[in-house]
Amino acid sequence: MFVFSVKAQDHLSIQLDLANNLFNNKQYYDAITEYKRLQFFDSTKTFNYEINYKIGECYKAGAKYDDAVKYFSLAELNARTDNELFDSKIQIIRTNILRRTSDRALQLCDELEKDERFNGKRDEINYWRGWAFIFADNWDAAAKSFAKINSNHELIKLAEQTEKAKVSVTFAKVISYILPGAGAIYTGNFLSGLMSLGWNLLSGYWTINSFVENRVFDGIVVGELVWLRFYRGAIQNAEEFAFEKNLEVSNKSLRYLQNEYKGIKP
Amino acid sequence: MISKTKPNKKLLITILLIIIPLTTANCQLTTDGNILSFQNRLRFGNYLYKDQDYLRAADEFKEYLRSENNDTVVFRLANSYFQIGRYTEAAGNFKGLFFNSQLSEEARLMFYESIFFQNDYKLFRVLAEERNFDSSLYGKDIERLKYISYFLDNTDLPSENIVLKSFPDSVQSRLINFYQQKKFPQHKSPTTAAILSTLIPGAGKIYTGEIGDGITSLIATALTTYLAITNFNADHQFRGWLFSGLAAFFYAGNIYGSAASAQIYNARIQFNFDKEVKLFFEQRNYFLPKVDY
Repeated sequence: MFVFSVKAQDHLSIQLDLANNLFNNKQYYDAITEYKRLQFFDSTKTFNYEINYKIGECYKAGAKYDDAVKYFSLAELNARTDNELFDSKIQIIRTNILRRTSDRALQLCDELEKDERFNGKRDEINYWRGWAFIFADNWDAAAKSFAKINSNHELIKLAEQTEKAKVSVTFAKVISYILPGAGAIYTGNFLSGLMSLGWNLLSGYWTINSFVENRVFDGIVVGELVWLRFYRGAIQNAEEFAFEKNLEVSNKSLRYLQNEYKGIKP
Repeated sequence: MISKTKPNKKLLITILLIIIPLTTANCQLTTDGNILSFQNRLRFGNYLYKDQDYLRAADEFKEYLRSENNDTVVFRLANSYFQIGRYTEAAGNFKGLFFNSQLSEEARLMFYESIFFQNDYKLFRVLAEERNFDSSLYGKDIERLKYISYFLDNTDLPSENIVLKSFPDSVQSRLINFYQQKKFPQHKSPTTAAILSTLIPGAGKIYTGEIGDGITSLIATALTTYLAITNFNADHQFRGWLFSGLAAFFYAGNIYGSAASAQIYNARIQFNFDKEVKLFFEQRNYFLPKVDY
């Protein structure tokens, strides 16, 4: 009986090796199957933390973020040490960052920070908080969060540059109210801005000309249908261009982080 | 004597205390200790099946069935495919239980369900009417499913009495309503809409229920026409032609827009009807009994 028990334990260890090999070879579907098989047969629950953690990682790699969070939470429940607990909580934060539930990620960062057991891990918490801010498109807050780790942190520069490269949506709209087309020019859309200005000048001339020639009704109709249409269009365009420009700037930085950044990513 | 036996008892208890946990550990494994044995695959498959991880459960059942044929496992394999939407494979496996199986009746019902949920309702009706795999226990459910299928595709409905008799009294009035809507849909004619807009700009849109759009079209066409005339009268040739072009554009665009609006109206009516009908049957699980093993 004793021999059988030891043999069974060997089988479980072999099974764990098999699952880990599949995981290392990025065969995540098969890895999950084998981890689940191990979990089912491991009645002593010896590997419960490792299994749930790895299954979570597999689901995360397969972009099944809800499932990943579920298994990381199970890992958290089965954690035997503070380190294991911290690691599983950090994985939940990283998964929340990836699935764009940044508010939840930030909330979890705050909770971790308040936990005295993890006082020595503030840097890591701030690092992931910075990433959560990046995915929330709040580059200024991200820069501040990275600065808490190290004033020369390489991501501070990127976050600051991104924030600086962005345009103000309000400013783009306001200058379009004053001079139609100016907002588009401010966001770098010169041709569209000049066209907008031209249409406004022409339709404005027609409106005023109609009033000058005592064709009041013509003036009202052209002013309302043509001039105001172009005037409103210029303001709306300025707003849209500013949003597009900011999105482009953010995406460029995110592409850099995805393809060229060498540090740990969510 | 007493003093000699006491230590023996203690020793025995100690040995038992050590051995019992060791032997009960890993009790999930069967005696061969091989996690991948067919029996263990079946047990693991059943665990996954209960956990609703049907894709992995199907793999385990398939492996088990290489060693031994078992109707319940075949049923579970088929049902796993059914649950993950692989209806063709589900139907094929349910078919294997039609004869000489205690699950024959349930398999027949599930086979028809698998065909039904493939959304090939014509094939489903052909199979249901051929009655080659008729079920004595679930025949009425299959027949009801056949009548439901008429509501879900573009085939002409049979007579009202035939369709409705399969359904419980509690839903009769709702089904009569669906039947009437399906048989006599409240469609708008694109031709009528276009003709109306040709006569009075915007009238076609009002006919299709787009009252705001219709009035706007009328005003836009009238105003641009008026502006063209006044600019010609004021000898502003360029502006005159510009507004003439705009008026023609609004007029022609409105005729086209009215016909399109009628088509959109019809599509919306159809979409809403399909959605409502689907939701009605889905909420009632298509009046199907729950079958599982």
